[in-house]
Amino acid sequence: MPSFYEENGRFRGFWAWIFSTDHKRIGLLYLLSILSFYAIGVLLGFLIRLELIAPGPTIMRPQTYNALFTLHGVIMIFLFVIPGIPAIFGNFFLPIQIGARDVAFPKLNLLSWWIYMGGAALAILSLFTGGGPIDTGWTFYVPYSLRTPVNVPLAVLGVFVLGFSSILTGINMVTTTHQLRAPGMTWFRLPLFVWGIYATAWIQILVTPVVGITLLLTLMERLVGVGIFDPAKGGDPLLYQHLFWIYSHPAVYIMILPAMGIISEILPVFARRTIFGYKAIAFSSLAIAIVGSFVWGHHMFVSGQSDVASVVFSLLTFLVAVPSGVKVFNWVSTLYKGSIEVAPPLLFALTFIFLFAIGGLTGLFQGALATDVHLHDTYWVVGHFHYVIFGGTGFAIFGALHYWFPKMFGRMYHRKIPYIAWGLLFVGFNTLYFPMLLLGWQGMPRRYFDYLPQFHSLQFLSTIGSWILIGGLILMFGNLVHCLFKGEKAESNPWGGATLEWQIPSPPPRENFDEIPLVSKGPYEYR
Amino acid sequence: MINDRSMETHRDDLGSTLGMWLFLLSEILLFGGLFLLYAIYRFNYSQSFHLAAESLNRPIGALNTVILLTSSLTMALSLYALKQKQSLRSLCFLLSTILLGLLFLFNKYWEWASKFEHGVYPNATRLLERERGEVLFYGLYYSMTGLHALHVLVGIGLLTAMVYFIRKGKVHHERYLPLENSGLYWHLVDIIWVFLFPLFYLIT
Amino acid sequence: MNTYIYIWVSLVMLTGLSVSTAGRNWGRWGLTLALLIAFIKSGLILNYFMHLKDQKKMKWIRWMIPGIFAILVFFIGLTFLDIALR
Repeated sequence: MPSFYEENGRFRGFWAWIFSTDHKRIGLLYLLSILSFYAIGVLLGFLIRLELIAPGPTIMRPQTYNALFTLHGVIMIFLFVIPGIPAIFGNFFLPIQIGARDVAFPKLNLLSWWIYMGGAALAILSLFTGGGPIDTGWTFYVPYSLRTPVNVPLAVLGVFVLGFSSILTGINMVTTTHQLRAPGMTWFRLPLFVWGIYATAWIQILVTPVVGITLLLTLMERLVGVGIFDPAKGGDPLLYQHLFWIYSHPAVYIMILPAMGIISEILPVFARRTIFGYKAIAFSSLAIAIVGSFVWGHHMFVSGQSDVASVVFSLLTFLVAVPSGVKVFNWVSTLYKGSIEVAPPLLFALTFIFLFAIGGLTGLFQGALATDVHLHDTYWVVGHFHYVIFGGTGFAIFGALHYWFPKMFGRMYHRKIPYIAWGLLFVGFNTLYFPMLLLGWQGMPRRYFDYLPQFHSLQFLSTIGSWILIGGLILMFGNLVHCLFKGEKAESNPWGGATLEWQIPSPPPRENFDEIPLVSKGPYEYR
Repeated sequence: MINDRSMETHRDDLGSTLGMWLFLLSEILLFGGLFLLYAIYRFNYSQSFHLAAESLNRPIGALNTVILLTSSLTMALSLYALKQKQSLRSLCFLLSTILLGLLFLFNKYWEWASKFEHGVYPNATRLLERERGEVLFYGLYYSMTGLHALHVLVGIGLLTAMVYFIRKGKVHHERYLPLENSGLYWHLVDIIWVFLFPLFYLIT
Repeated sequence: MNTYIYIWVSLVMLTGLSVSTAGRNWGRWGLTLALLIAFIKSGLILNYFMHLKDQKKMKWIRWMIPGIFAILVFFIGLTFLDIALR
């Protein structure tokens, strides 16, 4: 049977990709575009760190620095981590894992990629038009974003359009999971990755429009001056923060829930054990999605919101730690007495658990009212969310790449190099971000262009870490790209996985299954 | 592609209904953000909101409500007729829905224009001289009814496309889902107006 | 077909009721009544024009609207915790 690479359909060559409605091709389109933006984001991060290697101006001016950290944030959040796992791996593997031939709305799926590219194009266009690159930080807080001369309207429009793409992906994933499961694929036989994407999709559908309207209003505020967020006209800028975080806090779960799904896939395969507490993990995804939607006020403890609101939001925030803890304990129990093979995917998954635990625990300091007053808007926050987003979602994406690479491309990567790359990544990551936690604890504010001499040594160490980390990234991606063309042919099931994607050839044929499978056992039942 | 197997074709129908409802949910929350802002500003400035609402044209608002409700009726009847294989009747009802939608937009335009004449539009100096609460009331009024009118416009576009598809025979009594889904969208836009009307016109 | 027309008549009558009770200085109750009527009207549209009531194959779809309403109430309520008590 020819693979999906060989069957083109109506178009040829390049066109057969950008007009394909095949979920696998769309997944790979997303992979290429999202990783390209990731490379730009990494480059910007590298420049930011380089600037901070010593006090005072080193390689750029303050305004350039403001634009760089804003762009780094916008690209990493809206173009990389939010669409990352649902759009790449969700598209590619969710239909296969539930035994379907495609997603429920293949054309809508293609449209959402086009909209994604359109939003990205608008965001990029905003750099070179109007007042130039935005300097508001990725949160576009009013009233500054209403006053600054830079090109906020176009950038905001770009993010609005990206949100549209996210909603369409969410609708597709929910409908696919409901309607296209193979016979016998009951809800509790779904692989946990599907549960993760499913919970995420609901968040995408339900809260993305809230940020959509917020950004639209900001846009209208810039263009016609409606006055709803403008304090000069009686508006309340704190309401912008409320609406923004009603979306942007659950967005953190859009980033992490599918990542947790990936971890729940990788661990049982390489521990050769069925997952411990399947239902607990599945329901904790839903619990995180629900409770996580009502904690947004913890971003506003020092904004001047009422004390009662702060106390309630703090309490709700601590509640999210419960389902998160449920997951971590279940993962660790899955490993217990397993026959563990530390292959590259498992290595990244274990690193996820370690780094995510640090990220989660440092989050509790900010969730507590008293300590947050000290830590708010310091490097502690920067360290914390890099541990969660990069150490969590980022490493999960690396793990997923190494886990599913043979299935996606039909070739195996060089098995030794990922270990070296992992070493560099792990050391580099902690050298880069752990000093940030210490800096924040000592009171270094975030987003500052300059700093006092007493912070020099830790800032310097952090910059060194960024070099090691980038070395690791280059080695890891170099290995993958090289083996994309030169790697040896992969078998259909190199890891011995029990989920459906491993039961079909690598790479999969155009419609995945010759015959829709009849599912009679759970996803992690090994012989 | 996938539709050559009867069981899946059957499921497909349910799937697009589900997909449409999910989309409607996100539409509700798009307006939900605005309702949140409305609730809070109304709480903060209830006096000015009362005052400002008095100057809105209530008869026109009520007329527009009836127009949209009637268009919802003709929309439902159009789908009903199509399912009964009466595609000509269905087309007539569909066209009246479109006309009623246009009438709604015309009234809305007239209403906005007369406000503009009195210097009541966003960022107008004469408006900014008034109380903060009134500025916010009109800010919300223009944002919410504007976004709603935009949705009516999109709905009219969708229904016009349906007229074309029914005439081409691509939408018919067995394949009525496109019309049904456009109808769902139209009814939702109607429901949003059902809430906008009392909140802006009837709170004096 | 008659059902649709009955529903339309009741919708128009409810609109009339809503307009005629407005501006009677009932304070908070005026707003409550207006919203109550709006909810009844949207319930009629959802169940009859949009056929939620006849949704047999996916009964859970019916719960989506109350669900979304609950979420909205939470969003607005939690924001009020800030605004009303600031």
